[in-house]
Amino acid sequence: MAQCTLKPDIDFTRKLTLAGGDSLKKCYQCATCAVACPLAPANAPYPRKEMVWASWGLKDKLTSDVDIWLCHNCGNCSDLCPRGANPADVMSAARNVVYQDLTAPKCVGSLMSKPSGLPILFGIPAILWFIVWWIRSLYNDGNWFPVRPDGHIVFGDIFYGDYTIDPIFMLTFFGALFILCRGAYKLWQSFKPDGAVAVIGEKGCWLCHLWHVLVDEVIFATRFDDCHDGPKTGKVTQTRRVGHTVLVWAFVTLAFVTAVVALGHWGGKIFPIIEITTPLHPMHLVKIIANVGALMLVVGLILLTIRRIAENSETHKSNYYDWYLLGIIWAVALTGIFSQVFRLAEAVGPAFLVYYLHLVFVWMLFAYLPWSKLGHLFYRTVALLYVRMYGRKG
Amino acid sequence: MSNAILVVGGGFSGLTAAIEAAELGHDVYIVEKSPWLGGRVAQLNKYFPKLCPPSCGLEIQFQRIRKNPRIHCLTMANVIGVNGSKGNYTVRVRLEPRHTPPHNVDFTFLASTLEGEVASEFDLGLSKRKALYKAMPFAYPARYVLDTTTLSKADNARIAGKASLDPSEEAREIELSVGAIVVATGWKPYDVTNLSNLGAGSVKNCISNMQLERLASPFGPTQGKIVRPTDGRTPHSVAFVQCAGSRDQNHLNYCSYICCMATLKHCLYFAEQHPTTQITVFYIDLRAPGRYVNVLEKVQALPNVHFIKGKVANVTQSDGDCCCIQAEDAIRGEKLTLNYDMVVLATGMQPTLATEKCPIPVAVDADGFIAGGEEAGIFACGCAVMPLDVTRSAQSGTAAALKAVQTVKGR
Repeated sequence: MAQCTLKPDIDFTRKLTLAGGDSLKKCYQCATCAVACPLAPANAPYPRKEMVWASWGLKDKLTSDVDIWLCHNCGNCSDLCPRGANPADVMSAARNVVYQDLTAPKCVGSLMSKPSGLPILFGIPAILWFIVWWIRSLYNDGNWFPVRPDGHIVFGDIFYGDYTIDPIFMLTFFGALFILCRGAYKLWQSFKPDGAVAVIGEKGCWLCHLWHVLVDEVIFATRFDDCHDGPKTGKVTQTRRVGHTVLVWAFVTLAFVTAVVALGHWGGKIFPIIEITTPLHPMHLVKIIANVGALMLVVGLILLTIRRIAENSETHKSNYYDWYLLGIIWAVALTGIFSQVFRLAEAVGPAFLVYYLHLVFVWMLFAYLPWSKLGHLFYRTVALLYVRMYGRKG
Repeated sequence: MSNAILVVGGGFSGLTAAIEAAELGHDVYIVEKSPWLGGRVAQLNKYFPKLCPPSCGLEIQFQRIRKNPRIHCLTMANVIGVNGSKGNYTVRVRLEPRHTPPHNVDFTFLASTLEGEVASEFDLGLSKRKALYKAMPFAYPARYVLDTTTLSKADNARIAGKASLDPSEEAREIELSVGAIVVATGWKPYDVTNLSNLGAGSVKNCISNMQLERLASPFGPTQGKIVRPTDGRTPHSVAFVQCAGSRDQNHLNYCSYICCMATLKHCLYFAEQHPTTQITVFYIDLRAPGRYVNVLEKVQALPNVHFIKGKVANVTQSDGDCCCIQAEDAIRGEKLTLNYDMVVLATGMQPTLATEKCPIPVAVDADGFIAGGEEAGIFACGCAVMPLDVTRSAQSGTAAALKAVQTVKGR
């Protein structure tokens, strides 16, 4: 047998422990978890091997492991785990460590990993939008809370789209997208084993595979139901399919509305026929769709939050990354809804303040996306695409 | 003040404690809740260390009891109250009615004519017993029991007027004065219905290790032939599921100590009866303490016994009343889905006091094992204290007897 020397990385194990995997040392490698997981393939199943890598501190193995992304965190393994080692939490912690370290600037990942980083993360957009507010107030004769002569509030009077919101958010959005793509590429490279991979059987084109991934994951979220096909645990596991799907579709709806408004606004400068001016009338079709999207967002959030709170905390612990993401989406949804409510109620002070907070939270959601749990949107898709290209269903 | 000793439980450790104390000159009361002495050992086909049948060791114990007038056996008896303190206990015991005469009457023929049947507790549900029954040929006391709730209408007519049977006998309560108490309440097999991922007892031909002992026992439901309970066929492939409920915080949060050795013993049963049967043992760790490693080596050398490291975490029914199991071979890193003619769950030991109330004032730990009580003149032994094999149970019985004797000596 070939000799090999393991080089345990104790710091890495400590990092995993802090990222939500504090139970990993309890594992005694009984391999119950690999059977408990209905998603794990027969060949090289997970998460037992990840558990031993985690406790041995084999950083390279774990961070380049495609399987940590295939786990959908149903918690069957933790329910059946005889030692309370909670493999599902350790898998989640491994993903968190990847969020933290995958892409530069890594200082953001470090700030995103703990609550003490929040003031700085909040402070950056808070100062940014405050400067915008201050500069724009000078254009309104020093008035920080301008009201139209007819009593209406127009947020564009302060946060003017063309020169403030649009360029800043476009820069943020495409910047984040660039960082995400770089991270996804890095992940893809790390998934590849040394040497060549022989694929037996028919190979599909990557676009077809991507389409199937999106159908299974986004449109129907069927993997969540597959999660429940494992051995009987004797415990009730609440489904996440409804909450997650509603939330995803709320985001799709809101992204669609944003795109329509942006197209109407910028395109309207060239083709006046499609011009859209904000604020939209409450009965405008686009506005109605937007409000339906906001409602879906709240419904999805309520379902997912209730599930997290109701979960057995002994075997399904929610970590900081989980709560940060839920928290930031809650903040975006509530400030968005209330800025509209205050605007229509013509409560000028609260309206501008809440809208300002809304901009801060939306910026946080997008700018820090590559280091937040929302990164799974990209990274999990990449992992699913990777395994499908090599003949696995994921 | 009394220098008598009460022993609660008539299993191997309780019997040992009782005999040792009586042979040192003390009056001893054995309170046993079942109709016969012998406990779990009586249910086994063979037991360690020498792999002799239970009649072998128990026969000697029964002889010693029979010859010793100081030992008073109370069967079908339960302790219902304890008053007093160290050296001076008053114990109330409830004696359930046996409905049969105190002397040995052979009811074999009458029993065979009865029609009412119920699942046999002694055979762990693998057979039916009549209303009038004796669980084992060497039972002590060698008396039948009449279970009036199992009698059918015709049975009632049949036994009516039999002078030797008294269906109207009622439970009695007696009081005993003792100076010390030995608690030997023992263990029971862990309830498989709790193991939801291992079929929860509903998968056919998936039996527990104690049920396999009954199948292998010459006075068991199949007269000692190890066959599938559903069709009586010889199993060609058998899987043993180790740690079924043991070392598991959701079930028994400790190693039950005996299940590895029990499985190795069962492999020897198969090698003797069906040498061509393919056996696979799925384990996390194999524990063969002390000299038992010889048995492990002997079984590992058997050509048809295979060991796979990885716990079985899913048992379901498959075609032909076979059992489908899933486990990860943790050495090869491969998830296996395999069919077996028969699956044996190596269930562990749960102390009786984990689920049953005991009026004796003694502390139990989180798992139900007795912890302490010695300062009050109450001494625990056998598997009521920790999982033990028969040898060590006997040793702990002797130890408890010596402590009890010293408590009452000179009073």
